[in-house]
Amino acid sequence: MKKKGKGIGCTFYGTGYGNGFPDVSRSIAQLERDGSVTVYVGATEVGQGAKTVLSQIAAEVMALPLSGIHFVCENTDETPDAGTAAASRQTYNTGNAIKRTAELLLKEMKVTAARHWGVSTPGRISMDSGKLVHPENAAATLSYREVAMIKGQELLRVEDSFTAMTTRLDDETGQGNPYWPYTFNVYGVEVEVDTDTGKVSVVKAVCAQDVGRAVNPKLIEGQMDGGFAMGLGYALMEDVNLQQGHMKHDRYSNYLIPTAMDLPDLEKIIVEAPESTAPFGAKGIGEPVMLGVAPAILNAIYDAVGVRMTEIPVTPDRLLVALKQHEGKEGI
Amino acid sequence: MKTIQLTVNGKEMTLTVEADQRLLDVLRNNLKLTGTKEGCGEGECGACTVIMDGAIVNSCLVMAFQADGKSIQTIEALDSEDGSLHPIQQAFLEEGAVQCGFCTPGMVLSAKALLDKNPTPSKADIQEGISGNLCRCTGYHKIVEAVEKAADTMKEGGESHGTARRGTK
Repeated sequence: MKKKGKGIGCTFYGTGYGNGFPDVSRSIAQLERDGSVTVYVGATEVGQGAKTVLSQIAAEVMALPLSGIHFVCENTDETPDAGTAAASRQTYNTGNAIKRTAELLLKEMKVTAARHWGVSTPGRISMDSGKLVHPENAAATLSYREVAMIKGQELLRVEDSFTAMTTRLDDETGQGNPYWPYTFNVYGVEVEVDTDTGKVSVVKAVCAQDVGRAVNPKLIEGQMDGGFAMGLGYALMEDVNLQQGHMKHDRYSNYLIPTAMDLPDLEKIIVEAPESTAPFGAKGIGEPVMLGVAPAILNAIYDAVGVRMTEIPVTPDRLLVALKQHEGKEGI
Repeated sequence: MKTIQLTVNGKEMTLTVEADQRLLDVLRNNLKLTGTKEGCGEGECGACTVIMDGAIVNSCLVMAFQADGKSIQTIEALDSEDGSLHPIQQAFLEEGAVQCGFCTPGMVLSAKALLDKNPTPSKADIQEGISGNLCRCTGYHKIVEAVEKAADTMKEGGESHGTARRGTK
């Protein structure tokens, strides 16, 4: 018999290394002679979209189109360390570093412009469509290219960093600031349980993710889709089958992951609640989008057949055993 | 050692291959067509997918000598001289269907083989068509959307340019 059930799973997750561990990102910004800006940063692109999002942050500060930013990453020979592409930390941590570095570059450009104009108030120089505007005479402007030309052979190049503000928990009191920032997520799923075969199919799903600020909504959706698929595999299929420290399922013929046919549509809800310490309010969501899936599915199984599964993955054989035990109890 | 004749991306060629070489090895090592990826090497992941006589195969499971007399298309077959992308590749870019990219060549070829046979696939057809290609990053949704988009584009633009240009099966 096929039985349907619904479940939700809610999570909050602290991004970054946490617990006072030095969580530092550094970056360099350089004004090129053609008025474009090169960003050097050790951040690694692994498909999550770091290059795109971090370039967008630099472009936003510099008021340049994305094509005005050259992004150099990963090469340790020419980039400063920005930490690992892990802990969902690049958008927040390295995003902050790049924002600060770009702001510093802009400040230096204004100092150069102020000297050129003979004014003593670089802070009052404003920006308008990629140009610096004279504080007293709005008709006098300098393009970024012109600022670079004033510097001549000397390139404007600045470096800055960002360190996340966390502290270790106090051993005595349990007090502290272990992570910063936190992000929030909820999944809702509907499952269909075949009580004859033990197979669980997820037939409908929805994900709502707090992102702070959506720098690139399409990439966020891609992370949600991917996290959902990983969470579904984690809940229902993926079993490394550890035996005496040996991973028995060490290949795709026995370690099963979802295919395109295993995934229902996912309704994706992006929740924007800007984080005050984040670059334009944006937080990392790489790991958070995966966490709520398994609890939601297990809750839905409970709703469908009244069985509380406490071991994952919920493979058909495990669920059939649990269903039999459950029937036995109900019979008494 | 064995001499085989085959067509790769529209070019006829005669090759001398080792008895234990797989088609994948010949493509990557002998012909330097490294767009074809080796993932699991046991026919589960689909990263090494190529099109052989119009049907997708895992090139890790095809021995080189079995490709004798066959016509093979790899991801490089979709290159065009003017640098423009095949509608499937374009749709993958536009829909955000690529993350780490390792499954992408195989995905694109599975989509191409599907659309060559069935230009108006349903969503379920597409899901089945790429079900032999595993992806760890994307959750497949944007890939399926990209194939739907490519099908629409190719329907409007007439015959797939890859097929027309190369004249392969």
